[in-house]
Amino acid sequence: MKKTITKLVPFLVVTAFFLSGYAQAIGKTTSAVEPTAAIKEKATESVYKGRVVGKSNKAKTISIQVGKGAKAQTIMVKFDENTKGTEYATKGHGVIISYEQQGKDLYARSIKPKLSKMPKGVTGIKTAKLKAMIDSGKDFVLVDSRPSTRYGQGHLPGAISIPVCEMQELIGLLPTRHPEFPIVFYCGGPT
Amino acid sequence: MSAGQAVNAGFKNVSVYLEGEPAWSKAGNPLHAGYGFICRGNNVIVDLRSIEKAAASRIPRSVSMPFDTLEDVMDEIPMKAPVVIFGDNEEQSLAALKLFKEEGYKKVSLVEGGYYGWKRLGGALIKGPVVTEVTWKRVLAPGEVTVADFKMAIEDPSKAVILDVRTNDEISVGKLETSKHIPLDQLCSRMDEFFATIKGVTKEQVIYIHCTTGARAEMAYKELKKNGYINTKFLMAEVSCEQNDCDIDE
Repeated sequence: MKKTITKLVPFLVVTAFFLSGYAQAIGKTTSAVEPTAAIKEKATESVYKGRVVGKSNKAKTISIQVGKGAKAQTIMVKFDENTKGTEYATKGHGVIISYEQQGKDLYARSIKPKLSKMPKGVTGIKTAKLKAMIDSGKDFVLVDSRPSTRYGQGHLPGAISIPVCEMQELIGLLPTRHPEFPIVFYCGGPT
Repeated sequence: MSAGQAVNAGFKNVSVYLEGEPAWSKAGNPLHAGYGFICRGNNVIVDLRSIEKAAASRIPRSVSMPFDTLEDVMDEIPMKAPVVIFGDNEEQSLAALKLFKEEGYKKVSLVEGGYYGWKRLGGALIKGPVVTEVTWKRVLAPGEVTVADFKMAIEDPSKAVILDVRTNDEISVGKLETSKHIPLDQLCSRMDEFFATIKGVTKEQVIYIHCTTGARAEMAYKELKKNGYINTKFLMAEVSCEQNDCDIDE
């Protein structure tokens, strides 16, 4: 049991890293206050960004994990036929959910996929080209940024393991004296 | 992100394969297993070579399933098990990988270079009569209850409160006699109110949650734990109920 948890820790940490700081709900308060309206319930619409950890079409609920490190927590939101983009809520994928509070429940109004942004100075590469590079035996460094347990379970041919959290310490594994050397990073897909 | 750090470190030729490992596998390309995972992972290691070769020298823990017989015997491997395959060469492994994928196995990886690749790497080898029986058992995820413990709680309700989070429609077909029921979609809004209706329940109460597959039970588990029910566990198993009789299948 303890072993399982320790194995899981890097995974959670990495996940949290990717979600960097999305715990904060972007407070967009739409309090329709009309002077004459006697009692009007304040409806707050906010946003959660995180990774889907569960979805049930029967119960019409989605669980997402938000926040990083010790602050990481799982949040359950409900959805219905009026919710837009429920198809993007796939387990393991990153999503941005606009929700509103109704009583104690949270209702998703719209769900959008969270796309990874490419850092400046970095180009994208597709499966076919990467495969051609691997098959041709071309000299380049292929880096698996996933947690080392995931690397162990199966990695792309020839890849080395540098989990994203350890990049700072392990950057020396890259050919730092040859800045022109091609380096390709990959992870567990759009999260 | 790692690629950004590499750029900052001065690398001029950095790319990112955004679709990542899932897209790579989906396109039918092989994955290689890591050394430690081959030595001691929670997996099934399959030796595709002949029984004679396997008896003479093989990777420890491996099960003998010669390539010619693979299609007939691979169903002995549980569908959920991670599978690591090795053969006489990479071609044989790739052919086997295709068969496993077609059969629906999702977590299949190869020993790089097959048997000789492993040997060249200096990996451990054993000899002796081959093993043909698959004994793989899934390692429980955090928060998971074993089927045995769950069944014990059905027999003896003092062991745990069993919580059924399926819908009202599902319940109408059948449910465990001793279980408490709250549909997952009502759990958040009515949690404390609901537990107050169960006599003597504290936040320390042992609670086992189930649904039909485990997916909803896991979501409910996270909610309960977040709300301070510290001894909650969930059942990851197929549960089908008819009246007061439920079948539990791992």
